Amino acid sequence: MTLAASSWSLIWANRDVLLHGLVRTLEASAVAIVGVAVIGVVLGAARAYRVPVASQIAAVYVEVVRNTPILVQVFFIYFALPQVPWVGVRVDEFTAVCLGLMFWGGGFNIENFRAGFEAVPQRYREAGLALGFGGAAIFRYVVFPIGGRIAIPPSINTYIAVLKNTAIAGPAVGFAELTQVAYGIIEASLRTYTVFAVIGVVYLLIVWTLSALIRLLESRLALPEARR
Amino acid sequence: MLAFLPYWVEPVARYMVTEGLKVTAQIAGVAVLFSGVAGILLGTLLTIRWWPLRSLIRLYIEIWRGLPLIVTIFLVYYALPAFGIDIQPWLAAAVALTLWGSAQIAEATRGAVESIPREQHEAAAALGFGWLGRHTFVIVPQAFRRLLPPLVSLLVNVIQNTTLAALIGVGELLTTGRQQIETLLFPPPVGTGQDHSLAILGAVLITFFVISFPLTRLAAYLERRLV
Repeated sequence: MTLAASSWSLIWANRDVLLHGLVRTLEASAVAIVGVAVIGVVLGAARAYRVPVASQIAAVYVEVVRNTPILVQVFFIYFALPQVPWVGVRVDEFTAVCLGLMFWGGGFNIENFRAGFEAVPQRYREAGLALGFGGAAIFRYVVFPIGGRIAIPPSINTYIAVLKNTAIAGPAVGFAELTQVAYGIIEASLRTYTVFAVIGVVYLLIVWTLSALIRLLESRLALPEARR
Repeated sequence: MLAFLPYWVEPVARYMVTEGLKVTAQIAGVAVLFSGVAGILLGTLLTIRWWPLRSLIRLYIEIWRGLPLIVTIFLVYYALPAFGIDIQPWLAAAVALTLWGSAQIAEATRGAVESIPREQHEAAAALGFGWLGRHTFVIVPQAFRRLLPPLVSLLVNVIQNTTLAALIGVGELLTTGRQQIETLLFPPPVGTGQDHSLAILGAVLITFFVISFPLTRLAAYLERRLV
């Protein structure tokens, strides 16, 4: 199989480029995931506490994210937003990828944390009241740690999806993350699909590892009373 | 009727709907149909307690759910020609969406089929049905009720993910929109000499929202009604 041999050597020759792409994927994911976590906690709390205005804005935001394609969202942020007077700024590719993923993941994470905060049993809050805690202290010491704990496994699912979606956002704006780099190698050489099989394995290893982590955490993080 | 809009809007919108939206619907239709059929089949087979078959289907599900969909699209698009299968780009996208969608539905089907009480199996067996007849005529039709919400959700996700075909050059809604943005950049008489990204990409976003929102509501409604 000379063709197979040549495509493997092509990948080997480009190993530094691919590795660099993987690093960029992880960088963009890490930045986006931090933003997604903050959006999820803040607006998730706004939803759970039905904070006027913020709650409604968050609800609309969630529906927009859920019902529009992420690729169009990224294109919109990168190509269309700069045209909006006052708020429009042209950003570089890395920022566009991070912003796009933050916007998308945030919408899903709000729901994770809203559900988590709402799942905190009422009597826990009452226990806080009995100890003389105010509303803010109850959130800080009761609802946030317990509800956040419930929200961790589903939110990791969202973070995995964010990482996978770097493969969409990258090629969309021409940011050299793993998939975009692999695409570049294909376009520059004979059309060998092997490089996509290789990066596919890389993605699977990352995704499967994180999914295994969720399963591990799910039983560990479940509230004692929910355990059987 | 829409005379208050700039003159370029009508032809652009017409092109995007008749060409772009048509291809979007084509990809989504093919992908949902085959995802549903293959997913229900694989999911039902997954309930058989025979480990070689089980682990094979498990592997299929974990691979296509684990891979970023766009990587699957690229993989199918570039790999099939290497095996001598000449395939149009839109169909390559539909195949990739089917691999991914069938994995989602297989997982849902397994749960739905396993939720059918064992008495149903026993009653069907008592009537003389074999495994195939039991599942075709008794178990799967009952499980189908529970499959409706995930199938509608799949439809929403597939419709949204058809846009990924834009990255392999398929002329679906997003691609036609971007082509029109490029064309309108030319000075008159070809274009307007202006960048209409905001209006056109905004219109694409709104179109997808208008299609998807009722469907996500429907999925949520079915979820509450049927489970």
